[in-house]
Amino acid sequence: MDKGAGSGERFVPARYQPPLPRDQLLIPLGTEGAGDRMELDVLIVGAGPAGLAAAIELAKLAKADGQELSIGVLEKAEALGEHSLSGAVVNPRAFRELFPDLKDSDFPFRGPVNREAVYLLTANRHWHLPTPPTMHNTSYYVASICEIVRWLGKKAEELGVNVFTGFPAASLLVEGADVRGVRTTATGLGRDGSPGPGYAAPNDLTAKVTALAEGTRGLLTQAYLEWQEVPSENPQIFALGVKEIWETKRPLDRVIHTLGWPLPNDTFGGSFLYPLEPNLVALGLVVGLDYRPLTLDVHELLQRMKGHQLFRRYLEGGELVEWGAKTIPEGGYYSLPARRSGDGVVILGDAAGFVDVPSLKGIHYAVQSGMYAARAIYAALKAGTQSGALLAEYDRLVNHSYIVSDLYKTRNMRLAFKDGFWLGGIKAALMTLTGGRFPGGPVSVERDADVPRRAVPAERFVPDGLLTFSKVDAVFKSGNATRDTIPPHLIVGKNVPREAAEFYAHMCPAAVYERAGEDLRINAPNCVDCKATDVLGPRWTPREGGSGPKYKRM
Amino acid sequence: MSVVLAVCEQRDGVLRKVSREVVTGARRVADGLTGTVEALVLAAAPVKGTEELARFGADKIVTLTSAAFSRYAPEGFVQAIAARVKSGGYRVVLFAASATGKDLAPRVAARLGAGLAQDVTDLGVEGGALVATRPVYAGKALAKVKLTAQPGLVSLRPNVFTPVERPHPGTPETASVAVTAGRVVVKEIKPAPAGALDVAEATIVISGGRGLREPANFKLLEDLAAAFGGKAAVGASRAVVDAGWRAHADQVGQTGKTISPSLYFAVGISGAIQHLAGMRTSKVIVAINKDKDAPIFKVADYGIVGDLFEIVPKLTDEIKKLHG
Amino acid sequence: MKIAVCIKRVPDSETRVKIASDGKSLDEAGVKFVLNPYDEFAVEEALQRKEKAGTGEVAIYCLGSAASQETIRTALAMGADRGVLLQTDRVPADGFEVAKALAAELKGGAWDLILFGKMAIDDYNHQVGPMVAELLDLPCVTAVAHLALEGRTGVAEREIEGGVEVVEFPLPAVITADKGLNEPRYPALKGIMAAKKKPLDVKLVSLGAGGLELLGMAPPAERKEGKIVGEGAAAVPALLTLLREEAKVL
Repeated sequence: MDKGAGSGERFVPARYQPPLPRDQLLIPLGTEGAGDRMELDVLIVGAGPAGLAAAIELAKLAKADGQELSIGVLEKAEALGEHSLSGAVVNPRAFRELFPDLKDSDFPFRGPVNREAVYLLTANRHWHLPTPPTMHNTSYYVASICEIVRWLGKKAEELGVNVFTGFPAASLLVEGADVRGVRTTATGLGRDGSPGPGYAAPNDLTAKVTALAEGTRGLLTQAYLEWQEVPSENPQIFALGVKEIWETKRPLDRVIHTLGWPLPNDTFGGSFLYPLEPNLVALGLVVGLDYRPLTLDVHELLQRMKGHQLFRRYLEGGELVEWGAKTIPEGGYYSLPARRSGDGVVILGDAAGFVDVPSLKGIHYAVQSGMYAARAIYAALKAGTQSGALLAEYDRLVNHSYIVSDLYKTRNMRLAFKDGFWLGGIKAALMTLTGGRFPGGPVSVERDADVPRRAVPAERFVPDGLLTFSKVDAVFKSGNATRDTIPPHLIVGKNVPREAAEFYAHMCPAAVYERAGEDLRINAPNCVDCKATDVLGPRWTPREGGSGPKYKRM
Repeated sequence: MSVVLAVCEQRDGVLRKVSREVVTGARRVADGLTGTVEALVLAAAPVKGTEELARFGADKIVTLTSAAFSRYAPEGFVQAIAARVKSGGYRVVLFAASATGKDLAPRVAARLGAGLAQDVTDLGVEGGALVATRPVYAGKALAKVKLTAQPGLVSLRPNVFTPVERPHPGTPETASVAVTAGRVVVKEIKPAPAGALDVAEATIVISGGRGLREPANFKLLEDLAAAFGGKAAVGASRAVVDAGWRAHADQVGQTGKTISPSLYFAVGISGAIQHLAGMRTSKVIVAINKDKDAPIFKVADYGIVGDLFEIVPKLTDEIKKLHG
Repeated sequence: MKIAVCIKRVPDSETRVKIASDGKSLDEAGVKFVLNPYDEFAVEEALQRKEKAGTGEVAIYCLGSAASQETIRTALAMGADRGVLLQTDRVPADGFEVAKALAAELKGGAWDLILFGKMAIDDYNHQVGPMVAELLDLPCVTAVAHLALEGRTGVAEREIEGGVEVVEFPLPAVITADKGLNEPRYPALKGIMAAKKKPLDVKLVSLGAGGLELLGMAPPAERKEGKIVGEGAAAVPALLTLLREEAKVL
């Protein structure tokens, strides 16, 4: 149906993508180069819902036994929550299990979902659709993941957990096939990599067990799975979500999801509009990274989308308060790694792929996985071991839980959309009706980077600065004030052609990439760590602590 | 009869221009209180130029001399001023919120047990009380405060209280005072480091962005800066600093410097919010850009749409003519 | 060296300022609070001086709400030895009241140095440091960008209009720190852990209203809409006329 410019060579992102820098990411324990060293019982990488839930559950288990565990949580953001971003509508069940003594009203949620609606959009109209069963949200709560993370962080610290913000983990410390801990990034390097005035050497943190809770497209997680050749039925695939928070003049009283416009028919995705407060709304557009048009630009599509009457009526006269972006693992059941545990290591939350795309939920799975991991870790520590054999109890707990059974029910729903919106929609409806049984059987997918893109001229987009914003202005609203002279953190392929530069420029929501004539210009400090680049283009590595966005209520 | 004391500043025996602003502010307050203005100068010997303060509203111009006052001497100044305020029953004491004033005013306030509204941008009398406006949160908000105790102490932000001519007698009075030797001694004033004026110091800043096309073209802006005769500095947007064309010390913006010059030229700069964050409190903003839709024009007071390679040289020529 | 550092918990400099419904305070929703950046220079200077001297103590003093404990812990994580919180929910608009409370607490402490940041980035008051010095009858130099100590004599440099003032003073003294004084360290992992165990005393205080009353806070006036003067080089004379006669900046 759609022909590219000359039906020949399509642009395939994987061709220009460098491999994972394994030498950097996996280093033998004892390698020179660390400044401070710290030994812990348990090290958790990432202070998101999964990491903090694991820390809290571990601390509680130890306390109940009259024991004390040294638990450290490393977080690359300068303060808790600053790199966390989600819709979000939260299922409280995992919170209730983690805090059996608390009531729903004690949890850091905003308000219950009272009303909801799903719409199909065209450029000028919207049609109310019956809410698909997977999208029923009443009895759930609208929340800000930043607020959830800050709340969990306080609970963790009250229990004696050490939360270290501003410390990104750059490499796994390994001994044989054992994970022994991590090495953090250095601080205060100049653009050429040499130490500047604020220089601080990397730190080595070793622990009996390391829990990787890095979130979407976790770097160390990827390194571990590739290194240990842990298989999965399908590769993990991703969507990119770009989100804004607005203070509005007109109140919003319901949770809204939309499908259709402005996405092309062969592109998976949809939007959300949630009230944090009647006059404080979160809205975003989520798009599968297997999109076909080379110049598809999720940020620009979101800007365009806001002009639709459905959104405009709320946003007009209001103020953009925050902006951000993050990828979401979409592969579901078939993309889960065969095991999420090993010698000295467990993998939690989004990093493991515990996200259900049809219902847009991942936070409660993250928290639940954190609790299961904590139980398995605690039992292993008591038995005096960190071997994968005992930590595999974590996999057993997850596999027999609602996490996996939920993901199994919707195992092909997202994948069905690989056939396009209408056919996919029909398939998805059938799956819903049959509880996932029909059409059944695994749908195989390729990695996003292997999907060929068709050249399509980009539409010119001129932001008005009132309703729509340029990427550079959006990055300002993410709170990003990264040091300009920081060393470049993106690993770019060699001889990147003009087409690739064009592709990257549209792919990245933060204007890190620009096509400058025949060259690729890189504005690395703009990066908001969404990881889209790591999926489709130059590989992402962590920068010094505190770099990147400073989300407040995303 | 309310007396408003205007504490003026001198350096090397010459009255500093900011003194005119302090007297202007004092005159405004005195008129609101139906009172008089006394200008005060502390020096080792009579200071050149003090008589002009009469033009700006001083009823009396008092010079207090002491050998200790050849340079700023915090403890001696505090002693002398506090003693005068106490004995004279002054209603209001004004200072310039200069580097010296911001140092001196708090000490005098503490000595007198009085409150101090520091660095105000507006001052008036409402219902017989002194009311001041001060920028807070880096100018993102303005706080209005009432001084409820007497005397009320206020320091005025420089370059805000434009001197207004309101001639008054300006009767001169000189007296020598004895102050105890201070422990804090100003040994010398080193001149600012030689070389280009810092963007954060200059009263006029000319910034260039990607529109300049090449680093060599910044010469156009340097020529324009030179035409202003030493008062102007050349700044840069983040994009050109990133590209290595200009030093990071010249970068104006959120991750560079935040500046507040009297006159800011944005040349070939589109106007991203992170740049605006660094210069939006400039008194007057002029934008020169070939794109009439560039966001910078929304923030600029004056704009010229067109080719900067023609506009800037013409501007340089005209400025040179102005400065003779 | 026995050094006291007075710090303040302030909203982050990037804060989007929204005025609360009372018309007088900052709406704190979504606001991140940090250690006042100028106070970081003060803490760093104290740590460096103590390290140079080989022995001594760096004590942190803070006046503020209970949440300020977190801010004191940040300073402790940098390396300070202990902290004192003068806890109050209402901090008056009058800096002199703050100075009185701090001076009362610091009095008799036999400090070699008392350090402050030159100002807080929320109120921009630029006054508490020198007021405390006055109350304690100590020599004081403000806005110091360079500090040298030789025995019991100090030489400080501070920026003034058109130059640098070089000031000599004896110890003990009060110094307020400006940007450029030093490069504040990031807390190390071990420092963050150790900070939890360092002593932090909390004393409840109540401050008077003082001589300043905050009537209200408002957003700054919108810039008046600008105008495009013309096109091309031909518009330059018109621009200059406007700059000279209307804007009065030439």
